[in-house]
Amino acid sequence: MTTTFRSTTAAVQVRGLRRVYGHGSSAYEAVRGVDLDVPVGSITALLGTNGAGKTSTLEVIEGLAPATAGEVHVLGLDPVTDRAALRRRTGVLLQRSGFSGDLTVRETLRQWSATLSSPRPVDELLERLSLERRADVRMLALSGGETRRVDLACTLMGDPELVILDEPTTGLDPESRRDVWGLISELRAGGATVLLTTHYLEEAEALADRLEIMHAGEIVRSGTPTEIALGYPSTISFRTIDDLPSDLVAGNQVSRERGRTTIETTALQETLTDLLRWAHAHDVALSDLDARSPSLESVFLAIADQREPAVPSNDSGMPTASEGALR
Amino acid sequence: MTTTTFSIGRTARLTRWNATLLARNRAAFFYATVMPLLPLALLFAGERGDPAVGANAVTTCFLVAGLFPVYYNVLSQFVARREELVLKRMRTGETRDNELLLSIALPGALCAIVICAVLVPAAWALEQPLPLNPLVYLVLSVMTVTMFTAFAYWTAAWTRSAEAAQLTSMPIIFLASLGPLFIALPGLSSTLRDVVSLTPGAAMAELVGSSWFGFDRVGATEPTLGFAETWAAAAGPLLVMAAWTVLGLALARRSMRWEPRT
Repeated sequence: MTTTFRSTTAAVQVRGLRRVYGHGSSAYEAVRGVDLDVPVGSITALLGTNGAGKTSTLEVIEGLAPATAGEVHVLGLDPVTDRAALRRRTGVLLQRSGFSGDLTVRETLRQWSATLSSPRPVDELLERLSLERRADVRMLALSGGETRRVDLACTLMGDPELVILDEPTTGLDPESRRDVWGLISELRAGGATVLLTTHYLEEAEALADRLEIMHAGEIVRSGTPTEIALGYPSTISFRTIDDLPSDLVAGNQVSRERGRTTIETTALQETLTDLLRWAHAHDVALSDLDARSPSLESVFLAIADQREPAVPSNDSGMPTASEGALR
Repeated sequence: MTTTTFSIGRTARLTRWNATLLARNRAAFFYATVMPLLPLALLFAGERGDPAVGANAVTTCFLVAGLFPVYYNVLSQFVARREELVLKRMRTGETRDNELLLSIALPGALCAIVICAVLVPAAWALEQPLPLNPLVYLVLSVMTVTMFTAFAYWTAAWTRSAEAAQLTSMPIIFLASLGPLFIALPGLSSTLRDVVSLTPGAAMAELVGSSWFGFDRVGATEPTLGFAETWAAAAGPLLVMAAWTVLGLALARRSMRWEPRT
């Protein structure tokens, strides 16, 4: 493979990645020309709905699947031909993986430890993942969340420079999820690079330095959470009042739903000032007033609904699942 | 396969864990250790010390050792772990593909080799002769294990689940079992006999007969080969077994899958 790019500042570099499943008329292109840079020492989140192509992209970066086209460099190496050298420096958590049910937690970690060149002590990982009390329980008796923590312990055992986590917190209870977030932040503090996928918006917002939003096999937006939200409308909402003059909100998208008026504006401060001045002058109380900058959720909904930035519209039709998760 | 390096240490450590798992699975452990020795009971059936009875019993032990601890055990372990995504998980780490394959095969293979060794004193205790050519007997034991391992990974390529293995293993079980039966039929024409001798089980039966008992063909009742002649008698059947092994490995390599079909 000829190397046309290779950087010391990016732990993962992907150019023009395509991945096609099947052949002929049944062929399905899951990844359609992805470019991706994961800066060294960052937490980068690959965000997208189910079926966006996140896992298909990660599997190529992990060296588990070949690319149909494109170039991938991980820590400057080729994930397939340099597999042996690379695996000592990376830790991978698959979206779904399995363990032998007949081994205990401790045995499972000892087994994994036996495959590594320089493993951290098993006891240290048991403690780090709060598994000490479950150490002598067979894997088949563990809950889904506990199994996930054993999986994470294996991922981190080799002290990896680059950690690739495919939906690390899916299926975890809120408390365990916070613990895992803490662990991921610690990894970055320790100098590691983290590439993770998630469909939890709050997770991406809380953890990631950079976001790469995938939709239908392509990365449609990338940058810091603030950069990504740029150009998307802010929202002002309050309990609906009858006599809101239309010239006050001219040029903005206004919707009224279930007794609540929502104004989408690209000039939050101006629109809000006008609104408050008018309310003050006319002695109108704006109950439950709420004003907010564009959230990742609104950006995400717009992308999922294939709307461009700065073209506000309110009838997205996308259901908002609980906890900000989009499936 | 993309592996270029191989670690003996890692393979040995993984083999130990796979042996632990085999020992914890009572049914699989019984099939791997006790089952292949059961055909020794045939030695009680005939006249004590009759080499024809001995050859029959030892051949059956070989067949069961090849089919249970090696073939079916490796096939079902590999397929079950692929289905449970254990293999996919292992492949994200430092373990190479060939280390993974070898460490799954070794516990059963070692059981089979130990059984081949135990057969010698056990048969001797029941008044059977000792192997005429121990070296060929040793090569035969290793060859049997290797050939059935290759068959296991070949079968795994088109076996969807551990349950499906009960069906997909049938062709190999028949191919291996029918050879020793057919080649011993008295009225068999020489052409047909030549064809049957190309099956893996028949080649194995011929080697048991010649290397241990000095028989010039399967179904013989009196030893006719001397020590020197056992070398020449071994060449053909060993070549047949080697050919099946190479074929099995080539097909397994071409169609190897590490993840369940989606």
